[in-house]
Amino acid sequence: MSCNKFFSILIIDSFISLSSNMASARRLKRVVASQPGFLNLKSTSNSADSASGRRKRLNKNKKKSWNKHSDINDVEDFLQDVRHQERTTGGLLSEKSDDSLFFLDVGQPKKPEQKGKASRPLRIDLILQHDSLVPPPKDVLAYQQPNAKKLRRSAQRAEQLAAKGVVPRRRKQLLNRRPVDRTAKKAETEANNNPGREYYDIWGQECDAADPWYLQQTRKSLVKRPERLNEKPSVLPAVEVIAPGGSYNPDFFSHQALLQEAHEVEVKKQKDENKIERQLAVNREDTATEETILQEQVEGLVEEEENEEETAAPKGEEEDVAVGAITLAAKKTERQRKRERAIKIKEQQRLANKQQTDHRQQLFQLRSIKASIKQQDQKTKTRQRQRKDNQEAQKAQPRRLGKLKFQPQDMEVQLSDELAGSLRRLKPEGSVLKDRFKSLQKRNLIEPRERAKFKRRHKLKYVEKRAFREIT
Amino acid sequence: MGGLQKKKYERGSATNYITRNKARKKLSLSLPDFRRLCILKGIYPHEPKHKKKVNKGSTAARTFYLLKDIRFLLHEPIVGKFRAYKIFVRKLKRAYGKTEWSAVERLKENKPTYKLDHIIKERYPSFIDALRDIDDALCMSFLFSTFARTGKCHVQTIQLCRRLTVEWMNFVIASRGLRKVFISIKGIYYQAEAMGQLITWLVPYQFSHDHPTDVDYRVMATFTEMYTTLLGFVNFRLYHSLNLLYPPKVYWIQFYSPIVTKLSALSASLARVVSSAEEEEAELDQFPTEGEDMEKMETMEKEQKLIEAQKKLFQGLKFFLNREVPRESLAFVIRCFGGEVSWDKSVCIGSMYEATDETITHQIVDRPSIDKQYINRYYIQPQWVYDCVNAKILLPVEDYFLGVTLPPHLSPFVEEKEGDYVPPEKLKIMALQRGEKPAQEQEDEEADEDEDDEEEEEEEEEEDDDNDNEEEEDEEEEAEEKNLKKMEKQKSQGKSLQVKVTPGKMKVEDKTRLDQEEKAEEKRLAIMMMKKKEKYLYDKIMFGKKRKVREANKLAAKRKAHDDAEKSKKKKTRK
Repeated sequence: MSCNKFFSILIIDSFISLSSNMASARRLKRVVASQPGFLNLKSTSNSADSASGRRKRLNKNKKKSWNKHSDINDVEDFLQDVRHQERTTGGLLSEKSDDSLFFLDVGQPKKPEQKGKASRPLRIDLILQHDSLVPPPKDVLAYQQPNAKKLRRSAQRAEQLAAKGVVPRRRKQLLNRRPVDRTAKKAETEANNNPGREYYDIWGQECDAADPWYLQQTRKSLVKRPERLNEKPSVLPAVEVIAPGGSYNPDFFSHQALLQEAHEVEVKKQKDENKIERQLAVNREDTATEETILQEQVEGLVEEEENEEETAAPKGEEEDVAVGAITLAAKKTERQRKRERAIKIKEQQRLANKQQTDHRQQLFQLRSIKASIKQQDQKTKTRQRQRKDNQEAQKAQPRRLGKLKFQPQDMEVQLSDELAGSLRRLKPEGSVLKDRFKSLQKRNLIEPRERAKFKRRHKLKYVEKRAFREIT
Repeated sequence: MGGLQKKKYERGSATNYITRNKARKKLSLSLPDFRRLCILKGIYPHEPKHKKKVNKGSTAARTFYLLKDIRFLLHEPIVGKFRAYKIFVRKLKRAYGKTEWSAVERLKENKPTYKLDHIIKERYPSFIDALRDIDDALCMSFLFSTFARTGKCHVQTIQLCRRLTVEWMNFVIASRGLRKVFISIKGIYYQAEAMGQLITWLVPYQFSHDHPTDVDYRVMATFTEMYTTLLGFVNFRLYHSLNLLYPPKVYWIQFYSPIVTKLSALSASLARVVSSAEEEEAELDQFPTEGEDMEKMETMEKEQKLIEAQKKLFQGLKFFLNREVPRESLAFVIRCFGGEVSWDKSVCIGSMYEATDETITHQIVDRPSIDKQYINRYYIQPQWVYDCVNAKILLPVEDYFLGVTLPPHLSPFVEEKEGDYVPPEKLKIMALQRGEKPAQEQEDEEADEDEDDEEEEEEEEEEDDDNDNEEEEDEEEEAEEKNLKKMEKQKSQGKSLQVKVTPGKMKVEDKTRLDQEEKAEEKRLAIMMMKKKEKYLYDKIMFGKKRKVREANKLAAKRKAHDDAEKSKKKKTRK
């Protein structure tokens, strides 16, 4: 028995090495087979098979033939058996103590009452369970560390250095790096309309002392704003206070005045509308009456002869005119020319004389001339003034800045019966938003615009949905 | 002599101007961005003198800018930001389209933004320049702060505007700068003085917005963006000029977080950097002067005194606001003149005392009657406060008691010249200001008024003659005028009209029928007003309905016939 045990130990030892090395397995096979008293699980061994087989002659000088013709089934079976034992019992049966192999049969132990099927594990789980008792082999690679030695050494060195108080270079660089200003970035990305935004004294701080030439060349300084841009495009105030009649509880007369104003605006609008309507109206003379229709129908049928005569008459006239033109272009005689020249000279002389006498006469008209000059001066002055006034008035007017003209908004007015007696019952009139918008337009800050119209590129097709068709 | 031939439109005004589209292309910006840039930088379109020359012979109406302005715009760093923003939007769209959420996050984190600080500094080189242009900023901020959060503009903008306006109001309170208030049908006009500048602004009534469609919200938002930045910087400077902490702090709540809401209550005073209990009032220096200067100095001194008196108008008075009066406006006005003010706790945060406080001198009420009245306080209508401010004195409260017909609220912005029409109410106030006794005998007053009226009439007639030369029927007009005058007089005196009262007769009306008729009429009118397309659809639907009814009726009739037949059958079988 002791011999057997020794052998089994040998087997296991060799088995471990076998798993990686097949050649040694084959060597083992022979050793095992030659051992007497080896306990086999499967009793039917290949002893008969080995006995009956005729010995084959083979070349033993080649590995290939060894592999081909040597019989290793016995070793395989043995190893299978060993593996099976290990899988099922966790070791070789022969090594187990008796206590672990046998037990005292005292009958069926009383089962605790099962509570339904839920307590039993699922079959699928049972199938998937790891049923071998051999522990899985360790993954050697998981425990290995590449460069372990080097790392260990470097760590040791670092420790030594740290003990001495030397800071490594990389660390030093990190420490020396400028800290990232997170708040600055946040402030930069902060929206302009953030309700909690901070303000500072923008007019108090003077520009820093950097060289202006440097700033300009590096384009860090802003371009100077031209003075012209600081002028306002209109002289109108930003906030135009409503007329006193616009009070919520107005004085009677001022209210009436405001109403009158609003009324006039409305009347003017009405007039313009009427004018357009009048212009667009169809002229009654243009519409066809029975007479005109009849005339049109018989046009050219009745009065052919007269027409012919008419057409003949103008022809003759034309000829006359043509003849007259030719006669006018006839040559003047020498005498005629002389006479004309004489007349011309005489006329010129007469005019010159007259001018001379006029000049002489002006001496006596000095007073009236002075008066007339004065009058003219006055006139120019008044005109100048008027022009200036007009220009001033123009400044307050909205300019034509685009396709559309400025349209003032409707006047805010409450009729006498709409006026609220108290502040509580006051109904606000008009919209302040619109008022501001129009004020911007009026002051030429923005051009009057229309909302962009939506233009459809393709015409729409109208199709009734089936659901709709079913209803109707 | 000689030389190259001059080409048209290559010199002169044609080269000084640039059309909007060309300018836009030059800056390589989209039209909305271009518009925004122009508004922010304060560059406005320009109307050329000779349009045809500028427009190269065409007379089409176009928007022109000065070429130099556009060249100036080219240097603006914000232009780059606009372009970056365009790319950002494109990238974000793409990331969304590909559902790359991490990319979306990253992009959103790095959203390009811009600051307007340098533009403010550039456009307003000095503080006074900014203060002169603050009217617009205030109007816009007050307007935007009253917007509801309907998506018409960014919620953050509304909040920022609210914050800035509250800060401004607190500044005006602290500086006691308010001068005039005018309650109009549009909104409330205020005028305040800050650093010697008169600043007017308009505050809309709360909850009065019907967003008009013909207003470009984008343009308005851009203006607001600029103006909020401006107003913030101005506020900062103004607070510091009064030794106040700038992000303002209220005395009794320094540890609460919603400071803005507390601040907006306007009931507490602000914390100062240097806590000085009472600043010494600076008196005008006296200079030895002569003649005209002397007179000027005297008038100036007088005005100064008046203003000083006005500043302490409500000093020592304790107000309580009922819940139906506009709280913010009244609290602002009262605090501006040194009064104490409080309101019901449930109305708003920051009430200082309860209505039961015995020391309250005035309770502001805007309802016809009130149940429980304290004997030691006046119950007055809100107009009293505003009128007092405008008159610069405490007016007699009798005219403003509960349920009394109020005297008209006159505009303080009207400066009457000599010979102008002055309403009798204003004359009264002027008399009060001069220190004359108002409580004369009524007859005297009436006589005075009559005289006044006559004078007015004459003036009116003159004016009318000037204005309406075309009208010939003077007599009729006069008669009309007199009639109106009479009515007005009676109105102002609170007398009842001379009308006979006779017992009325009951008029029997079937209310339900009337209602029905009205409804039917409305519907008919609505149908008439329908567009052709809608009308078609409506007709179809109605036709369908009718057909259904018809079919149902038919079926019902059939059923009835069937039942009858059954019955008759049964009867027959029974027999």
